[in-house]
This record gives sequence, structure tokens and C-alpha cells, in this order.
Amino acid sequence: MIQFERFTLENGLRVLFLEDVTTPLAVVNVLYDVGARDESEDKTGFAHLFEHLMFGGSINIPVFDTPLQSAGGENNAFTSNDITNYYDVLPVENIETALWLESDRMLSLAFTPKSLEVQRNVVIEEFKQRYLNQPYGDVWLELRPLTYEKHPYKWATIGKSLKHIEDATMEDVKAFFSKHYCPQNAILCIAGNLELENVKRLSEKWFGDIPAGNKYERQLPKEPLQTAFRLKEIERNVPTDAFYYAFKMPDRLHPDFYTIDALSDALGRDKSARLYVTLKKEQKLVSDINAYIMGSLDDGLLVISGKLNDNISFEQLDKALWKVLETIREEHMQPAELDKIMVKIRTAKAFQDQGLLNRAMGLSMFELLGDANGINHESDKYKEITTQDIHRVANDILQKDRCSLLRIKSKKND
Amino acid sequence: MINRSEAPALSTIESIDFVAPKIHRINDMVNLLHMDEVANETSRFDLYFDAGKIRGEKSIASFVSGLLMSGTHEKSAIQIQEEINALGGFIETGISAESSVISMYCLNENLLALFEIITDAITHVSFDAQEVKDFISDRKQKLQINREKVSFLAQANFQKELFASDAKYAQVLEDDHFDALTVENLKSFHKDFYLQGLERVVVVGDLPSSQIARICNMAKIMAFTQKPIFAESLQNKAGRIEVFKKDAIQSAIRVGRTLFNKNHEDFQDILILNTILGDFFGSRLMANIREDKGYTYGIGSMIAELQNTGYFLIATEVGADVREKAIDEIKFEIERLQNELVTEGELELVRNYMRGQLLKSADGPYAMVDLYLSAVLQGKDLEFYNEALHSINSITAERLQELAKKYLDWNDLTIVTAG
Repeated sequence: MIQFERFTLENGLRVLFLEDVTTPLAVVNVLYDVGARDESEDKTGFAHLFEHLMFGGSINIPVFDTPLQSAGGENNAFTSNDITNYYDVLPVENIETALWLESDRMLSLAFTPKSLEVQRNVVIEEFKQRYLNQPYGDVWLELRPLTYEKHPYKWATIGKSLKHIEDATMEDVKAFFSKHYCPQNAILCIAGNLELENVKRLSEKWFGDIPAGNKYERQLPKEPLQTAFRLKEIERNVPTDAFYYAFKMPDRLHPDFYTIDALSDALGRDKSARLYVTLKKEQKLVSDINAYIMGSLDDGLLVISGKLNDNISFEQLDKALWKVLETIREEHMQPAELDKIMVKIRTAKAFQDQGLLNRAMGLSMFELLGDANGINHESDKYKEITTQDIHRVANDILQKDRCSLLRIKSKKND
Repeated sequence: MINRSEAPALSTIESIDFVAPKIHRINDMVNLLHMDEVANETSRFDLYFDAGKIRGEKSIASFVSGLLMSGTHEKSAIQIQEEINALGGFIETGISAESSVISMYCLNENLLALFEIITDAITHVSFDAQEVKDFISDRKQKLQINREKVSFLAQANFQKELFASDAKYAQVLEDDHFDALTVENLKSFHKDFYLQGLERVVVVGDLPSSQIARICNMAKIMAFTQKPIFAESLQNKAGRIEVFKKDAIQSAIRVGRTLFNKNHEDFQDILILNTILGDFFGSRLMANIREDKGYTYGIGSMIAELQNTGYFLIATEVGADVREKAIDEIKFEIERLQNELVTEGELELVRNYMRGQLLKSADGPYAMVDLYLSAVLQGKDLEFYNEALHSINSITAERLQELAKKYLDWNDLTIVTAG
């Protein structure tokens, strides 16, 4: 059970406080309700580029990192298709430094044209390092537009192409800031050995006078129901053929979300999961195979991915894989299998909840979903899952008509 | 209105609470370290074996490590995985030059049962011919994929140059290692370095002493009884190597040299020099090569330790078109440390940052046990970290310049690029 306090400032900033008397460190986590899904299609990669620029200085502070390092702290941030999250970890005595920094960059950015130019280059190098200059690195650049036709999940967080990053202008960046970066679109979580009254006072002191800004009303096109199987095969300079089966699944708040997560575990979480045992250990068709859900806030994906063994064809795999999926659709699993999935989920959750930063991020994410206390109900929701539920969602999700398949063919195998 | 242009007052970390685990003897040479103050139901155990890469040739150590869970005469690999997963265990195996480690993350209620499963799997591994064959085919495929990565090519070639003075340390996986592999070799390595090779057991978690006693008892049969020997010193081959990779749009760069570990009088101070150069976001390499020039997504330097020695390393991936410029800037930053004194402002920032990092590395039972291990592996104790705080507080710009001149001469460094 994660105990926390919650209050809202007059400007609309939601504040969460997580007390932990056992650590000398404090966490300040600021979640902004903006991700790559909020970009326009001709300017993708922007939310992420913007995250880089948030370290380029704010109205009263020339460089973000220096004061935090002087306070014995460090910070980082990440952008996803759904959110942008910034965090600072530092000795609790110096927590005001983090609040000063985070509030100043919520108030107003002030980076220079040089900072924009440098960060464009840094992001371009990141694009190359993670997506273009790695074997199989461009999978998501290909798979997203195959699975999503309308919804902005059809592009990756890094962006559709290098060109969109290269073309970003100062005006674009300023417009993005005023649209998304304001108290009404943010959630602040303060965690550490502190008292509520002090947290209230400090939040008010540093964030209270920031103008509320405009609430961003998200209106994204809903992805139409997929009604036919999609297949795309591409050739790349990779040593081995690889496959990605992506099945449509409902959004994060759908009642079946946790059951579908458990279904993906049954298929491919570990080395005793069905796909691994059948296709790798027994039939020796693949060298590696996994199943997982993307966990996105809007309609998501359950993905099965892996690599073929030498001399195995995509067609051989396809036949065997659908057979495993048919089995889980046709027969109820034994209670022992469900117990195994549940104890792994429980163990993973226990480890996740023990770090202060993880708890602070988790609370913020659940608050975005509507209620931070949701983090405490998660375990119960998993516990309620029955073998009948798994059977039902397997039939609902694992349909060929809802599936998109990306094959990466090795040029060397020709 | 508050004055936002003025930074809030800072307080300095004066002292840090370092907590030692409880020590239980397994035999005269081997201990179990138990960190018992864990406020939740999580737990972990690690088994360290004297079965690192240097104990064999042609990657045999790495093959045995990869096959530890491949089944016994009683249980198949799948059965072992079923048992681990039914208890919610997350297993990790790892191998370095000097050691092999198996780690298990689980709930404390399942730790003892998992310990039994894992030790049974390790001690009775049968090296089934089919499992070995499948494993080799997987490893071959992984190697082919890794060879498509410039970072892998640079690292593998760097290791050969870095440890040029000792062929066992310089070993990297090569194609002919697969052909040399036999079940007999696997069995013989396993017998020598696992059945009698356990160096240390680490347990983190709220567990009753009766369970710790049982674990000590189970571990005893594998515990080694002779002190292992490691290289006293290693010498890198200075100079530059270029590895060509067709169509690469980025180049990986490695720069470094052999150095020393915690037992050397300059170690504490060179950690500070390393931090200034490349070990945090505000470091000189990051400030110049990423934040000013935009040549890379990231660049960093580190000091790594071995049992009796150590090494220094800079690693980055940069745009292929700016590779030479990036190397020039690395050289420039190293020489700047030799030619100019670090300003008091920068030094004070690094002092504060390092004190904060030390606080963080002692925070919580998992971090603390790793910090403790890092000291005892080199024959030190927790006093080492109080000395570290003292070094951070008292270091001078002159001392840093002296170290930069002594240890970071460009002509002494190995430089490897791939791309």
C-alpha cells in the first residue's frame, strides 16, 4: 500500500506527496500531459525534441543541470507517445533547488537559437544511434504505420524522419510550449522524508504564481476497427529473419487491460511461456520469441516478436504460431499456469514499488489516468483474473483480422 | 513575488551512514554476506564463482555460464524454468573476465526454495548434447547480430588492445571457438570452476537466521578451498586501430588504458578527475562534444576495476562524418586537464555532485550491499568510503593537474574506432 497526499493549487497544478522517512534522498517528478500523439503529422518528433530543449535554460536560470549538480542531485527525462516526464533526485535537504528549477521551466523557457541547433543535432545522432545504425533498429518506424492508419500512434516518439527534426524552427518550439507546458497540464509529485505542511508551503511558494495557462483538450482521431489481416515484408542488412505480430487491444482504462497483460505473459514473458516452450524448445523454429503489451493510454497493441532459426521459413513459423494461439483460444488454461503468471506479476510489482522514484512516477501516471490511488488497486485487479477471463480475451484479441505482421527478411539469406 | 533569479540556499552532505551486511562463514575462505534490513518482501541472492573468462580458453567460460540452466539428468531445461517461474523468480546470469555470477530476484518467502532449485541445477548440469547444439546455434546468431553494431565491434577490438599483455584477459568470442567446443571441455571446466569454485554468496532480504544457516550449508559443497590467482598487472597497447564497417552512419569510439584499482594511492583522486572529464551530465566531454558541438547523443568515461588492477575508458558513438573531429575534441579535453587548472567553481560543483552520488549509492539495502561488495572485493572495508568523502572534500586543482599529466598522456592511450 502506497500512502500519499494530494492537493491542487489555484492555478490547476495537481500535487502529490509521498512520504518516505527511510531515505536521505528526495524525488521531484513532473509529468506533462503531452506526448508524440499530440504532434501534427507534418511535425513529428517534436515532443521529444522539446524535452531536450527543456534542459537548455529557463527564464531566470541559464543552465538547468548546473544548480542541481551543485545540490548533489541529478535529473533526467523521457518522452513517450503519451507523456513527457521529468525527474530530479537529490538530497532531501536541498529539495528547494529542484522545485526552483522545475517551476522556472514551467513558467517560461529561454533557450537560445544555438541551443536549438545543438539539440537538433543531438536528437539526430540519437535517431541514428537507436533507430538507423542498429540491426532491427527501424522496426517501430515500420510497424507503427502498418498497425495504425488514423491514430497518431502511427509515428514513433523519435519522429517519422530526420527531416522533421532538421526543419524544427524557434516559432514551432515556442508554440508547442505555450500549448502544453502549464500547470493545468502537469502533475507534480514530491517524495521523501518531508512533512505535508512543508510540501504544501513549498509547492505554493514555487509553483503558486505560475499562470494557469490553457487546458489542452485532446481530440485525437480514433483508430478504426481493423477488419483485415495486414502483412508487410521488408529487406534489411541483418543476419537473421525477424517477425513482429501486432494485435490490436483496447486502451489503458479498459476493464480487460490487466487480463490482456496476463495473456501476453502466458504467451511469452519467460522461458516457460507457451510460445518459447513450443516454438523454440520443442519445434526449434525460432532462436528467440517474446510476447508483451505496449501499455499505451489509447488503443494499444499486444506484440509477439522473435527471430527465426536458420533454414526456417516465415511460413513454417506462421503455421506453428497460429496453432499455439488457437490452443489458448480453444482450451481453458490450468489454474497452475495462471498461478505462475500471478506470482511473477506480484514479484515484479514488489520490486517496482520499492524504489522512491518508481513510486513517484507510478503515482503520477495513475493520477493522469484519473486517480493516483489506482496504483494501490492494481494488485487486486490482477488477483481477480480467472482462467475464464483469459479464455475470453484470448478469443477477443488473438484474431487474424486484428493482426498486422511485419517481416524483416535478411538480405544475406537470398 | 519570490526572487527566482536567486538560487535557494544549499546544505552540504557532511557524513553518510554506510551499513555493512552480516557475515556468515561458509568455510575458511568463503563467506555469505546477508543484508537483512529490507522493509518489504523483496529479496535477492547472488552466487559468485571463480569461473570468469580468464579461467579458460576459446570462450569456454562463457559457454558454461550460458548453459548452467540447461538441465540435469533429472530435470529438463524447461522443467527448471517451470519451477523457477512457478516461484516468481527472475534469474540473471553474467560473466566478466574474473568472475561468473548468478543472481535471483524473488519474494523472500520463495528465496530458500529457489536457492535449492538453482544450486541443484548448477551442480548437476548434464550438458545434454541437444541443449549444447541449440545453444551454439543461438550464440552464433547473436554474434552475427552483434557484429552489425559498431559499438560491439569497437568494444571487442578495444578489449584486445587494452589487455594486450595477457591473452586470457584479451579473449573475445571468435568463430573458431564454436568449432573447438566439446561436451568434455564443458564438463571439465564445470567441474574445476563451479563444483569447487564458489567464491561468495550474497543475500539481501528479510529472512530468518535458520534459512541463512541452511543456505550456508547447501553452499558449502561448492565453496572453494584455495585462493584463486588473478593477473597482478595488465598493460594496454597504445596506438590507434580502425575497424571498417560498411554503410555505418555512426562510428563508435573507445579510448583508454590500463590503470589500477582501490589499492593504489592515486585511486580516490583519479575518480574525481574522471568525474570532471566524463562521468556525469555536466562533464567536460558531454559539455563539449554533445552540448556544444552536437556530435553525439552521449559520451562518457569510467574507471573500471579488476581484482588486482583496473582500467580507464572513454566510450561514445558519433556521426560518421564527425569522427575525426570528435577524437580531436577528446584529445583537447584531456590535454586541457593537463594544461589548465580546474577552476574552484567547477571543482566545488563536482564535489557536491560526487557527495550526492555517494549518498545515493548507499541508499537502500540493494545499493548498499553492492557498494560494500565493491570495497571488499579489493580487500577494503567501508572506511574506504569515508576516505572517499575526505578526498572529495580536500582535493586541489594542482593535484588533479598532476594526475592528468601522470596518467592521461595521449601517447599512452589505446584508441579504437569502428564504423
